[in-house]
Amino acid sequence: MGLGGTAMSMTITCPICGKRNGYEFRFGGEERGGRPNEEGLTHEQWCDYVHMRANVGGIQEEWWYHRDGCGSWFKIRRNTLTNSEVCHPEKT
Amino acid sequence: MFAKFKRLWKESPLRSQYDAVIIGGGLHGLATAYYLAKEQGMNRVAVIEKRYIGFGGSGRNTAIVRANQRTKENLPLYAEGLKLWPKLTHELDFNLMFFNCGNLNLAHSEAALGSLRLLVASAQFHGIKSELLDAKQCNELVPILDISDRLTYPIVGGMYHPPGGTLRHDAVVWGLAKGASSLGVHIHQETEVRGIHVEKGKVVSVETDKGTIHTARVLNAAGGYSTLISAMVGIRLPIHVLTIQAMVTQPLKPILHHVVSSGAYHCYANQTLKGEIATGAHMDPWPNYTTQVSARYIKNQAEALTELMPVLKGVKFMRSWAGLADMTPDMAPLIDGNDHIKGYYMDCGWGYFGFKSGAVTGRYMAEFISSGRCPDIFKPFTLRRYEDHRLMGEIASPVNYGPWD
Repeated sequence: MGLGGTAMSMTITCPICGKRNGYEFRFGGEERGGRPNEEGLTHEQWCDYVHMRANVGGIQEEWWYHRDGCGSWFKIRRNTLTNSEVCHPEKT
Repeated sequence: MFAKFKRLWKESPLRSQYDAVIIGGGLHGLATAYYLAKEQGMNRVAVIEKRYIGFGGSGRNTAIVRANQRTKENLPLYAEGLKLWPKLTHELDFNLMFFNCGNLNLAHSEAALGSLRLLVASAQFHGIKSELLDAKQCNELVPILDISDRLTYPIVGGMYHPPGGTLRHDAVVWGLAKGASSLGVHIHQETEVRGIHVEKGKVVSVETDKGTIHTARVLNAAGGYSTLISAMVGIRLPIHVLTIQAMVTQPLKPILHHVVSSGAYHCYANQTLKGEIATGAHMDPWPNYTTQVSARYIKNQAEALTELMPVLKGVKFMRSWAGLADMTPDMAPLIDGNDHIKGYYMDCGWGYFGFKSGAVTGRYMAEFISSGRCPDIFKPFTLRRYEDHRLMGEIASPVNYGPWD
C-alpha cells in the first residue's frame, strides 16, 4: 500500500504549545468515561473498564500527554483510519 | 520446462447458504477453511475477504517462524505449528519455501540474558530446542555481528533457537487457497461483511455487499480488523490495533545465515533467499488503521542495523511497508466460540505472532467449529480470562526488554 495521499507524519495540537510533531507526545488511551463506582460492581463491568476497548475505526476521542513538552494531559479527536488529528469547532 | 501458469484456485458464485462462513481471507481464515474441508468433512464453506486474499497481515509480515514463546500455554501451540510447514508443503503440493535457518535472539544486558535463560529453560522443558550462547558464540553463528563494546548497548549473549527460520508468506496464502478450493471451499474476494444477524442467541446469517448468506457458524478471522467485526455482534475485545513497519534492503551476497533479533534495538533482520535483508519492526504506540510508513523509522532502523552489523553501512533500503497488529494486553491471542452467541467463533488478537501460528490454529479451529467443543490446547485463550484475571505472562518475554520502551 502506498501512502494513500495522506501525510506521513502526524501532528498533535497541544492546548498550551500548539501544533507539534506527534512523536513529542505519548498516547494515553481512548476516552472511556470515568472510573466506575465500586459499589455493586461486577467482574464483567470492571473487566470492561480495565481491558476492553472500542478500538474505533474512524474518529475517536482520546488522551495524549505532552511528554517532550509542557507535560500537560489533554484530549483530542483523531481519525484512526487516516492517523490524523481532526479539526473541529466543539470543545473536547 | 514450465507449463503456462494457471490460476491456483477457482472463482465461485456466492451461495445463499453455507455450513460455515469465515470472515477474512488471510492465513488463519484460509487454513481454517482448508482443514474444515480436509479433516472435518465440511465442504460448504465460504471465505469472505473484503480486498484480496493475503492483503492484510498474511502478506505483510516478515515471514519469520519460530516457537520460542514464554508461557506453557503458548509454547506447545507454536511448537506444533512449526512442525506443520514441511508437512503442508507436501500436502498442498506447493513449495512454501521453509528455510530452517534458526533464530538468534540477542541480549544486551544481564537482565535480558536472565530472561533468555528462563525462555531457554521453558523451551527445553517442552522439548523445544533452544540454547543460551555467550557473545563469542553469537559471533561464530553470525560473523558480521559487532560484539565489541563500541555499541551503545553491547551484546552480552543470546538465545539460539535452531527449529525456526523463514517461510514464504505469499506461498502459504496461495497454497492454502489452492488446497481449500480443490476441496470445494468458496473464496469470495472483494466481498465486504456488513453485519452478522443473531436470533435467540444464535448466528443465523451474514450480510455482505453481494447478498445475504444463511449460516449457523461464523468465524472472525479478520486480523487487524477483528474488533470492527466483533462490534457487529456487540462483543468488545481487549484489542488495540497498531501499525507495524518493515523494510528490505537491496539484494546482497549471502552474509546473514540466521534470523537475528534484538529487543533492545527493536530490530530483527534476516536475509531472504533473494539476498535482501528483510528487517523490522517498529510500531507507533497509538491505535492506527493506516498502513503508512514513517521517515523516522527508516532512520531508526538504519542506525540499529548498522550498529549491530557495521558491514551494512551504505547498503540501500529498497522499499518499506506496514501492516496491522491486533495487540492484546498479555500478548496472547483470543480464541473463543459459542460463548454469549452460539455459532460465533473468534480467532484474533495475535498481535505480531499471527503468521507463525496460522496453520496450526486453523487446524484446531476447524475441529472447534465442526464439533462445537473447544479443543484443550485453545482453552487458556478464552476471552473470559480477562474477567477471571488470568492474563498470560507472554508480555514479559525479552523482546520487551529495551531502553526504548
